Amino acid sequence: MDLLPLLLARVQFVGSFSFMALFMALALALSWMLLYFKLRARWSGAPGWTAAYRFWVRIFALCFALALGSVLPLLLQFGTIWSGLLDKIGNVAGPLVGFGVLTVFVLKSCFLGVMLFGQRRVSDLAHTLSVFMVALGQLLAMGWLVSLHTWMQTPDGATLVDGRYEVYDWFAVVFNPSFGYAMGLTLLGAALAVAFLILGVTALQALRRPVDEGERCAFKTAAIVAALASALQVPVAMGAADQVALYQPAKAAALAGYWQSGAQPSWAVVGWPDEARQRMLGEWTLGGQGARWLGRDGSGNYLGLDKFSGMQPPVALVFWAARVAAALGGLMLLASWLTLLHPTSRWLDLATMKRGWLRVLVGLMGAGVLAVVASWWVSLLGQQPFVVSKVITQSEILSPVSVWELACGLAGYAALYAVLLAAFVGMVRHATRYGVVPVRKAGGAA
Amino acid sequence: MIETLAAALGTNVGNPAFWMPLVFMGLLLLLIAAGLVLDGFDIGVGLLLGVAPAEERGRMMGLLSPWRDANEFWPLLGVALFCAAFPFAWGTILSKLYGPMTLMALGMMLRSVSFEFRLRARTDKKPRWIFGFWLGSLLAALGQGMVLGRVVTGYQSDAGYGWFSVFVGLCAVAAYVLLGACWLVMRVDGELQRRAAYWGRQAIRWVAVGMVAVAVTLGLANASIFYKWSNDAHLGAAAVVWVVMLLCFVATEVLLARVARREAGGYATPFMLCVVLFLLMLVGLAYSFFPYLILDDMTVWDGAGAPEAMRLVLSGAIIAVPVVLVFNVLAYRSVFGKERRVPPPGPGA
Repeated sequence: MDLLPLLLARVQFVGSFSFMALFMALALALSWMLLYFKLRARWSGAPGWTAAYRFWVRIFALCFALALGSVLPLLLQFGTIWSGLLDKIGNVAGPLVGFGVLTVFVLKSCFLGVMLFGQRRVSDLAHTLSVFMVALGQLLAMGWLVSLHTWMQTPDGATLVDGRYEVYDWFAVVFNPSFGYAMGLTLLGAALAVAFLILGVTALQALRRPVDEGERCAFKTAAIVAALASALQVPVAMGAADQVALYQPAKAAALAGYWQSGAQPSWAVVGWPDEARQRMLGEWTLGGQGARWLGRDGSGNYLGLDKFSGMQPPVALVFWAARVAAALGGLMLLASWLTLLHPTSRWLDLATMKRGWLRVLVGLMGAGVLAVVASWWVSLLGQQPFVVSKVITQSEILSPVSVWELACGLAGYAALYAVLLAAFVGMVRHATRYGVVPVRKAGGAA
Repeated sequence: MIETLAAALGTNVGNPAFWMPLVFMGLLLLLIAAGLVLDGFDIGVGLLLGVAPAEERGRMMGLLSPWRDANEFWPLLGVALFCAAFPFAWGTILSKLYGPMTLMALGMMLRSVSFEFRLRARTDKKPRWIFGFWLGSLLAALGQGMVLGRVVTGYQSDAGYGWFSVFVGLCAVAAYVLLGACWLVMRVDGELQRRAAYWGRQAIRWVAVGMVAVAVTLGLANASIFYKWSNDAHLGAAAVVWVVMLLCFVATEVLLARVARREAGGYATPFMLCVVLFLLMLVGLAYSFFPYLILDDMTVWDGAGAPEAMRLVLSGAIIAVPVVLVFNVLAYRSVFGKERRVPPPGPGA
């Protein structure tokens, strides 16, 4: 079968990418959360903020270790799986990858050690500064990643000369048309993932035993962040959908479940995209309301999936990943605002929350995490079979690697990621239950 | 020599398109050397965890701690620099190395995460992460050796070449064991030191076999490299290098035997000799291939990105290197300063 290597390569790449992007997002949002805890502790001197910092810095360290470890496999896959890719986009991707790794290197070698292991050796101001630099460094690293990813979706600032992209405007490459909304969605998604993780963990602690001041501080912060981020996500997601309609009509049509170009413009809220018969089953549509999120050709006709016959993304997967992300987003919006309005003796006091509502929050612990993964899938799968939008397909850059080798590699990655994921969950559960212990590195190098 | 090369390419030495790829090649070799030696002893100690008595394992991992943050970054920096500076060679080379590179990537990731997670795991789970670190070291060493085996045979894909690369992979495991053992001989005293000397002596013969096999195969499998070494001037240099390497092997063996017999002194010398061996090997390989990235097919200039893109990468490196140096010096000074005693773990430690 000719398609099997491509499928294996896609699964391996999307899986590795999701793993790295998820833990990068968690580490990024946690580091800004930690900076806030740290600053509150400095200004108010209240022990609760220090306690909150001390607990969550452990979880942050786990996320960072996983994110850092998963960079090398992904980087190598850029060559071992997609061997033709850098030959075509090397002039664009090379510097972006280089800056990304350099950013991580600087933040890791200069600041992370001080943040995690040097708190007692440096002044409190220097420690706070290093927490800030770690947070800033991760923001920049995420920026490089999103920039490269979005450039491949909406290439700008470079022209194709003899099969190779040559850059004429670096600003346009980095801040390509879809960079802004994608970065916004990534940051809000990361904030939501961490906020709901904190809400869930502290709610679980509140269900088991009387909570301490640190858990109350963390809970309150997370609830406010969750409410703000989930509200902000609505306009940003709508803007991103406009952007997709403008630049990526095939993805827009897949998101809408809109098959026939001539038909009445419609945007299916739910339904099952039947790829064999090229139509929706049991759809319930927005009707004309959704037309703004459909791509149009030069003369204003709506573009359906039939225009991209043979070059369609995996419609059902993209359609449903988007529905899952949107449903989780809606659920988180509802839950976070209900938490704000929840009757407690003091506003947002974890100690006097009703047990039933705490159980709801425990249930939503992984909602933000799932939403992050689902929205990356929409973005990555939505532009298949292309790797650079409308120009380079995945099959033309695929390595000539045997199915057997690809299958073994995929099995290896799957096993490793599963073990590490299980270990992460186990360690977070243990910390939730029994608290954290101080960690010291022998030799104590910062 | 540089002028003749430039003239052969129809350009002059001052042309950025000519000198920037050479600068990157030099940087890349430095990073590979750093990875080979610094991450190398890290991998070696990781491999030795498998044979060390259980009660010494925690101590051995603790010994690595102070350098761990820097050590684990050399391979990643090397890979990133290769990707950023030689994007047009990247896919062509890596597509031929899917298996070895996947082994290496899995091993490196497992090592990196296991080390951090062991620090944070509860006591009864720590042995699992030590096992993870050992397994990761094994996969990484095998993968790197197999990469070397594939490169020196010119990426030929017959079954015999496959077995050769597995053999080189095993020799690379032995080489890292030797390096790690010599490092331990330098760092520790007592029972563990004598054990390390014993492990090193077990590994050293396989390292010698591997290096000879790699060198011979390199010449036999690639006619142009054989040709390059077989004129008078190069034969002399090759003879000198071989004599130096032989002396290094013999001296290391003798010194390790002395450590095993509990005779004092010269504990740092075996490690230095191993470093010399590794670097000679690397320089020899690099010289054999220069100026090609893929022998007789793609030169460093063919593989390098557009000059503008290279200039960006170079400026990034030029900004980052001093920053990193300054901050590392500051960080290490505050660590190795007056207070030598270990502070008790307390709030926020």
